[in-house]
Amino acid sequence: MIASLQILTESIKTGKRKEAKAATEAAIEANVPPEEILNALSSGMADVGRRFKANEIFVPEVLVAARAMQTSMALLEPLLVKSGIEPEHTVVIGTVEGDLHDIGKNLVAMMLKGANFKVVDLGTNVPADKIIEAVQQHNAQLTALSALLTTTMPAMQQAVEKIHEKNIPTKIMIGGAPITQEFANDIGADGYAADAASAVDVARQLVSAR
Amino acid sequence: MNSRPQNFGIIACDAFSDELSSIAAKKNVNKTNTDTPWSRLAWLEMGLHDHPESLRSEVQALIDAWNSDSSFSTILLAYGMCGNGLIGIKSRSKTLVLPRAHDCITILLGSLEAHETILKENPGTYFYSPGWIRGRRTPGPDRERHLRNFYAQRYPDDPDLVDDLVEADLMAFSHHNCAAYVDITNNQEAENYCRNCAAYLGWKFRKLQGNSRWLEQLLTGEWSKDKFLLVPPGHLIQRTTNETLIETIPCNEMR
Repeated sequence: MIASLQILTESIKTGKRKEAKAATEAAIEANVPPEEILNALSSGMADVGRRFKANEIFVPEVLVAARAMQTSMALLEPLLVKSGIEPEHTVVIGTVEGDLHDIGKNLVAMMLKGANFKVVDLGTNVPADKIIEAVQQHNAQLTALSALLTTTMPAMQQAVEKIHEKNIPTKIMIGGAPITQEFANDIGADGYAADAASAVDVARQLVSAR
Repeated sequence: MNSRPQNFGIIACDAFSDELSSIAAKKNVNKTNTDTPWSRLAWLEMGLHDHPESLRSEVQALIDAWNSDSSFSTILLAYGMCGNGLIGIKSRSKTLVLPRAHDCITILLGSLEAHETILKENPGTYFYSPGWIRGRRTPGPDRERHLRNFYAQRYPDDPDLVDDLVEADLMAFSHHNCAAYVDITNNQEAENYCRNCAAYLGWKFRKLQGNSRWLEQLLTGEWSKDKFLLVPPGHLIQRTTNETLIETIPCNEMR
């Protein structure tokens, strides 16, 4: 592995924004393909997600890592556009109505961007109608919904039901701390991801199964 | 010989310690000739709901450990679903009883409807209660100080990173705009604490009148079906997708 990529992965893991920026610039300077740089970012972030899940680090550490990754991605985006790597799939993402907790949603959005999805981020507290409108407008193959509270899980269920009622041709994946595979099965969601790293795998599976 | 009319053990979140202690001292609740209405009590650390799997395994471990204690046949769980950490909990030889609630805030507010209405009116409400305030986990100046010290020890060579981490924690609450204090113990000190946090964060302050009835009913055995779930031996707690929130199924029929 190229040294700057190793440094990049490490700087994401520790949330060191300046180092991440310098390492990204060095990698770009050395003509490393942008996809490889993205992979280095994602592998750092996947490690952050794993350590969070294992209770080794806490929310602020995840947030600074995410910010470091964002800094690098901002440098990469123009390169990706220039190299003609067009995202093949579009995902509409948001937290469900009544839920303002967006840390997990933001991580998933970033990981999906890193995996070359076009991400339409509707933000927080998004009513079902607004989700449906965006999915139709962007022809999104995938809809990703997040809820952190058990109080907002019914809103997630309603959003999924509404998408089904209207026969919108999109796959739905859900996540958030209280969400489980059983809940996804119960409400008729197509996929469930336990964390941001596995969200990418689930997203890829869902769009390729179409 | 134990002369209690009804013997039970109780597993409770430490966030409830003020409320439970105050209720347990009431005459209508403690009908035993001892200081407390329970045969056995265990407090679990507050905040375990952040990692629902940890909450589940700690509660389950206590239930399993109490299985062989023949001095009581019922275990009360002073918990709501708490991030779904109570989902999947199995009874063994004892009956489990728990409120049909999202979390401690539902229980302190007295009804599911009250909790859901407040959140619907303003999803940016952050709830404070004496327990959470005692734990110094609520957003505000103490939390910031605590985090700064914690991260300064963890990352002693990187003060910039420590600043970033403290700022990131504040950012994590940036969508909230109201500190709502829920009280059933008339704790003026805790209320003032919450007011200060609201002022520090630039949030509105709101005082919500709590209701001790639900916790009292848990301890006195007035377990109406709409407010409590009874989990018979050999069953487990499962989530529903309607307003009952939780139900029980035999362990061998687990999905």
